[in-house]
Amino acid sequence: MDIETRIKGAKALLTETGRMDALSAPGFETACQEVLKNGHVTVVADLAGLEYISSAGLRSILGAAKKLKSAGGSLSFCGVCGMVDEVFRVSGFLKLFTVHASSAQALEE
Amino acid sequence: MKISLAGRLSALILTCAALVFALVVGYAYVVSREAIVEQARQNGEVLAQATANSISAQFLATAKVTDTVAATLEDADLSQPFLIDLGRRVLASNPGIFGTATAFEPQAFDRDKTFFAPYSYRQGSRIISTSLGGEGYNYFAKDWYQLAKELNKPAWSEPYYDEGGGSTLMITYSAPFSRRTPRGLQTAGVVTADIDLAWLRSMVSSVRVLSTGYVFLLSRYGAYIAHPDPDLIMNETIFTHAEDLDLGTLRNLGREMVAGRAGFAEFSDLPGVGEAYVSYLPLPDERWSLGVVLPKAELLARINRVTQVMTGIGLAGFTVLAVVILLLSASITRPLRLLTRAARDISTGDLDQELPSLGRGDEVGELAASFSSMKTSLKAHIASLTTATAARERIESELRIARDIQMGILPKIFPPFPKRPELDVFATILPAREVGGDLYDFFFLDENRFCFLIGDVSGKGVPAAFFMAVTKTLIKVVAEREPDPGRILTKVNDDLAADNESCMFVTLFLAILDTRDGQVAYANAGHNPPLLLRAGLPPAWIESMEEPMAGAMPDVEYGTGSLSMAPGDAILLHTDGICEAMNTRLILFSEARLLETAAVHAEKSTTDLIRAISGAVTDWADGAEQSDDITMLAVRYLGHDKRS
Repeated sequence: MDIETRIKGAKALLTETGRMDALSAPGFETACQEVLKNGHVTVVADLAGLEYISSAGLRSILGAAKKLKSAGGSLSFCGVCGMVDEVFRVSGFLKLFTVHASSAQALEE
Repeated sequence: MKISLAGRLSALILTCAALVFALVVGYAYVVSREAIVEQARQNGEVLAQATANSISAQFLATAKVTDTVAATLEDADLSQPFLIDLGRRVLASNPGIFGTATAFEPQAFDRDKTFFAPYSYRQGSRIISTSLGGEGYNYFAKDWYQLAKELNKPAWSEPYYDEGGGSTLMITYSAPFSRRTPRGLQTAGVVTADIDLAWLRSMVSSVRVLSTGYVFLLSRYGAYIAHPDPDLIMNETIFTHAEDLDLGTLRNLGREMVAGRAGFAEFSDLPGVGEAYVSYLPLPDERWSLGVVLPKAELLARINRVTQVMTGIGLAGFTVLAVVILLLSASITRPLRLLTRAARDISTGDLDQELPSLGRGDEVGELAASFSSMKTSLKAHIASLTTATAARERIESELRIARDIQMGILPKIFPPFPKRPELDVFATILPAREVGGDLYDFFFLDENRFCFLIGDVSGKGVPAAFFMAVTKTLIKVVAEREPDPGRILTKVNDDLAADNESCMFVTLFLAILDTRDGQVAYANAGHNPPLLLRAGLPPAWIESMEEPMAGAMPDVEYGTGSLSMAPGDAILLHTDGICEAMNTRLILFSEARLLETAAVHAEKSTTDLIRAISGAVTDWADGAEQSDDITMLAVRYLGHDKRS
């Protein structure tokens, strides 16, 4: 999985591509910690390029969200579609997290 | 063939040494040979010149004496005793002259005498006087007489055999003399002096040319005058000789010599001598030619000897060198051999093998030292590896035990309720290699309410196993107090989420079946939708209510769904290990294939249904490693009618 980090004002946009499995999932948490260290507590993850997400990936997301929340920030998503959308839906993530229609919209809010 | 280092080193050095030695000897031989040949050429020239000079001197002296006598005769009062005495005196004072005659013209001495020629010659040590001329000896016709008289000047004759005179092979110098008469100066006869060829020969043969060489003398037409082979003398010319021997080089030499040239020639096969050099030069006065034969074998004998000695010394030195080098290289490679043997022992695992102590400061010593330190660190490494392996094995064995305990808390006895014929329950778990966190459970809450559930803890390893055990225990405790599945999950979620720093979570599907009427209440905390297999209908998903997994966040309210099962209907719970099972080409088994397989085996008993799906998944994986637990739980409601 590749993660590309872009800073837009106070927000950070993390774009994930590839597979988010047990092997690569910790990378997401690490990337969130990086931006948190730099003072960006509001993180948007663009999952449009994500082909697959495993339960380890979900856990990594939960861990990152918990840390951001305790720092007074938030984790939201955009580009959720296909298999990821299915997993998010079944696992109730759609109820736990805010999902934006597009990255532009996510950064605007 | 394997050649040792010592062998190769020795071979190399010895080959070089042999090469250098051969070059030195060869060069020395060639150079000395050239020097010797050059020296021979000079010696030959000197020798030839010296011989020629002494012959010429003899000839000159003879001519001079004869000329003097001829001049004397012009005025002297001539008488027979005077002439005889004159001849004897000439011979006495000139040992090189064999004989001398004063031959008069017819009637020139005495009107009565046609022939008058007193002649003195040597016989042994005596001098004999006689008179030439007569019936058998008409000296007017002889060469020696005619040449001088007709040319009216002194001349040398060709060699000839003087039959009736000196009776030997000789050459004769003749000088005409005149007498004063009333009619003026008139030719009166010829004075001669003979040189015995035998004397000439003995003089020539007395010249020593090495020990097998010789000097030979040719007349102006190439006849042999002096030669060690007496048969050749006056019988053969150099040309007839060359013809007999079929020797072109000898013929060429003859041409050169007869032409009066000087030079140096090389012969490959001169009769009696073999390979030889010939130094030749002319005797200009007589137009004879003299050759000095230098046998090559003798010339080169010394240098050959020197070469032999040099070769001998060289071979001896070479042998000594070979022995020294072999010993030396063996001593150099001996520690290497020792090391090799030690290394071979070490390579078989004998790390306690003592390395030979070389006590040397050179490269081999360094090698031995490195070797020794390698052995030590290898030993240390193996020791630490052994410890680490033992530790890992202990951990692995503990993990295995943990796994066994984890598996042990899942109900495994089927059929579980032999006294409840309205239920057909079967469950299976195929654990992955790594400890996972799948769980299932089923139990009666009371006489009629049958609770069954499946769950999947996120992550792997001991934490997942713990979390799974906690979850299972918690559910059982909560379910006995709460009647509603949604409320059960809400309570379980709150308990799990409290102090869950590591963000572990578990997906759960929990249902409660009322065995009296087939009513099912269920709740789903982020788990895969189970399959509802209604008799006679295609399988269908029990749609998720899109509620999150348990343990992640507190304060989630889970709803309760409900459905009604007719006798024969079944519910199949499963974890994502089935749909996410991958084959070797990384293609998922997928929900579609699960649906398909379930449809085919829907009517079978729960045991057969689950085994069929397990088999399909195993076939699909086709040897690819199973990455997640594969867990299924099937419950078929048979109702109460069948019992009656």
